Amino acid sequence: MAKTVDQYFDDLRATRVWRSVFRSGTGSSTLKRALAIQQNVFLHLFSTKVRSRMLSFSATWYLGTLTLGTFFILVATGIPLMLYYHPSAPQAYADTKDLQFVVSSGMFLRNLHRWSAHCMVFLVFAHMFKVFYRGAYRHPREFNWVIGVILLLMTLLLSYTGYLLPWDQLAYWAITVGSNIASAVPIMGNKIRFLMLGGNAVNANALLRFYVLHCMILPLAAMFFVAIHFWRIRKDGGLYSHASEPATVRAKASPAVTAKEAQ
Amino acid sequence: MKEKLKSLLQKLFGDSVRAFGVVSLVFLFSLAIAPAKNHFSEWRHYQHGYLKMIRNRSDAVTLQRHFEGGIQQIWLPDLGVVDRCMSCHVGLKEASLNDVPTQPFRPHPVIPHKLDQFGCTICHRGQGAATTVAEAHNSTLAWEQPILPAKYIESSCGECHRGPLPGAPQLNQGRHLLSRYGCVHCHMVKLPDGKIMKATDDPPSLSHIGDKTTREWIYAWLKDPQAYAGTATMPNFKLSDDDARDMSAFLIANSTPLPGDTATLSAKASSDPSAGASLYGESFCASCHAVQNAAGNVVGGDVGPELTRVGNKVKPEWLQAWLRNPRDYDEETAMPHYRYNDAQVATLSGFLLAKTDSDLLANVHLEAATPEQIARGKRLVSDYGCASCHEIGGIKKPENFAPELSRIGNKPVTQLVFLPGMQHTLPDYIAAKIKQPRLFGQALKMPQYSFTPAQIDSLATALLALNDRAATLPPSLTVAATPESDYQPAGKAGKLMTDLACFSCHRINGHGGDMAPDLTWEGSSVQRQWLVGFLKNPNTLRPSLIRRMPRFNLTDGEANELTDYIMTVYQSPSVDRDSMPLSGYPQGEVELGKQLFYGKYACQGCHIVDTKSDKGYIGPTLTQVGSRLTAAWIFAWMKNPQALRPGTGEPNRAMSDEDARALTAFLISQKGGGKSEVAKK
Repeated sequence: MAKTVDQYFDDLRATRVWRSVFRSGTGSSTLKRALAIQQNVFLHLFSTKVRSRMLSFSATWYLGTLTLGTFFILVATGIPLMLYYHPSAPQAYADTKDLQFVVSSGMFLRNLHRWSAHCMVFLVFAHMFKVFYRGAYRHPREFNWVIGVILLLMTLLLSYTGYLLPWDQLAYWAITVGSNIASAVPIMGNKIRFLMLGGNAVNANALLRFYVLHCMILPLAAMFFVAIHFWRIRKDGGLYSHASEPATVRAKASPAVTAKEAQ
Repeated sequence: MKEKLKSLLQKLFGDSVRAFGVVSLVFLFSLAIAPAKNHFSEWRHYQHGYLKMIRNRSDAVTLQRHFEGGIQQIWLPDLGVVDRCMSCHVGLKEASLNDVPTQPFRPHPVIPHKLDQFGCTICHRGQGAATTVAEAHNSTLAWEQPILPAKYIESSCGECHRGPLPGAPQLNQGRHLLSRYGCVHCHMVKLPDGKIMKATDDPPSLSHIGDKTTREWIYAWLKDPQAYAGTATMPNFKLSDDDARDMSAFLIANSTPLPGDTATLSAKASSDPSAGASLYGESFCASCHAVQNAAGNVVGGDVGPELTRVGNKVKPEWLQAWLRNPRDYDEETAMPHYRYNDAQVATLSGFLLAKTDSDLLANVHLEAATPEQIARGKRLVSDYGCASCHEIGGIKKPENFAPELSRIGNKPVTQLVFLPGMQHTLPDYIAAKIKQPRLFGQALKMPQYSFTPAQIDSLATALLALNDRAATLPPSLTVAATPESDYQPAGKAGKLMTDLACFSCHRINGHGGDMAPDLTWEGSSVQRQWLVGFLKNPNTLRPSLIRRMPRFNLTDGEANELTDYIMTVYQSPSVDRDSMPLSGYPQGEVELGKQLFYGKYACQGCHIVDTKSDKGYIGPTLTQVGSRLTAAWIFAWMKNPQALRPGTGEPNRAMSDEDARALTAFLISQKGGGKSEVAKK
């Protein structure tokens, strides 16, 4: 009798190499499946169990996942873009032109990065609106909401720092305006702008600073907070669904609905 | 319909496996667009086209061997140039493709520069880094500078070559016109080497204009300068009748008299036209002044004003004073002080005053000016910036009267206001603005010039060369202009040379005009006796020239004074005029020289020694050269003429010392028999 695809996978999971990598072992018992999540350095951030209802589109509109997806695309396209780009005043603009004119599919790479960045900002906002209007920011998820706000700032800063890198007129003036806004902070405004730009106007120092922020500091910081964000989803009781709230919470939130369900 | 759609959706997205498969396929196809676009890029298309084109040619093998596929670029880090034009223009260096009718495969015409050293965009502009036709040639959202139209291409020469350049006549003319037509009086032009461009039109001072001409003439002139003289430098300000009336009123009222001009006529103007014409011709007035002849052609030089209707303009007493000594009225004038006697002044003034046009002032009737009109005239004179060019008593020369043009070649198109229907490019804007400035706004002050289309193009060419690249070029790449020196000869002779306006035609030590020979080393070149005679009574040295030096009626004292100075001061460090004798060469050497002259070097092709047989008329006649030039100069000249006078037409024949010596012996023996100037005296 011919083996099914599943059986091939089972055989693969039984090999010594597989076992040496994945500690949870084979078998589809609830325990094994729970262990597979728990004992994986990446997956253990997530809940071991998720209600299948929560995986439906209507529950979350997949906004958080899509945001993560755009983040992955941005990392994946950002790294090859770094290979073609020098953060120096005489070279930066020429490099973006070269991406357009001579790098194979360079324009595709750049546009993918650019549009994913726009998408990510949009999705982050959509995600937050969804969370807000569903009331998912409430106890016990207040802290994760705060992490979310930090991640919003990270996203905006990533977007803002990336804006300068093409080193064209649009970039120059956008950052000039942005840094002037920062300088409107009372008392220390000008200091902030000086720190941001490495000078009193957008110049080569600003380009280097923004490059390091955009490619190193902010992505690492974002990853750090994303990890916390995911970990807190599990700790705060999994994905939010109104029905899963304890009756007392539900009653507080919306007495009418609870009364109807109680019938 | 709805059912059909539903079943289709069911088929495609019915279960998760189908949905996943369909989405994956769609995703895969959309991802494939990028590499596909890359593969079907324009430059690949052109390279395929090129290969297809050369396949059937007889020189296919050579061309095929030279062909390199892929993106081709010229990278010049010094200039910040990355030019990829040759990715499509594949055959640029293939001279054998000359028969290809259309771009992009035509070879580049022969030019003095190597393509690999200068790239393409240095001259042609456009976006060199681009690899698509539209991006490389046009002005796009992210690129201001489009391809430069071919007719302005010489402007790119001017970015590096700051002085006159033999291969770029249009650029040279444009630069000349900027100075000659006084553009730079109002528009400041700071050249890339830091110097301010100077005007060469020499507009007359108007402080004593009332001595020279009438209010009626000023009125007619202001209304339309070209009606008086087609070649007039002054542009048309399109003044209304009232404006011209008031401005002429002010200029006359503002004029202060000079004592010499208003003196009564010392000599009655003679009306002998043939004597006048011959004096006019003998004095070579036409070298500088033009006159319209019966056929309507303007004949003569353009150093001084056209004289076709001069009788309508000048007052007789002023003209006589001017002819007697122009420097009394205008110290800076380019006109020499001819030492005319009273009879000559009368003859010449009579001849000139007869040059009138009865129509010119026929309809000009001006009533006496009121103080209001004069006041308004003064305001108008200030408003129109007349004092930018002319010296006018009581009115200061305005500063920055018109926009500075030092970087006009890089003016962003976004800062220009175009006329409806015109091309939105900088060259077109500049050309249109020069052609009809007032079209861009009635309130604009820039006057209407009467440039020909060719002159407009050359002006635009010169202006386009004033750009950022020219200003920021590495010094190693610039070819500096020979700076015009402000050399002035000293002492009594110096005063005499100024009085005779020698520098209007001759150049000495880098200062002066180019109409007549450079005299920097004249003292080494000529013999004293000849020079005295020539100054007293100049004759034509070159049979092909109509012009010659005019006769200034110098006294013996003046001629000697000048000669002494020239012989003493203007000596070449490399030619000692006393190092070779002026006579006493052995007959054998003279004979050898004669053979070399007519045989080996065939000098008679350009020169005449024997008036009976020789036909050469390009170079100076040499029948009396032995009385004119020094032997040392002839010898040095034979050896290397270009070293003594750069740019001379005389070829460098790389003669041996023996040949040069023999030719010198032969030439120095040509004393012109008894007819030499010296003998005449």
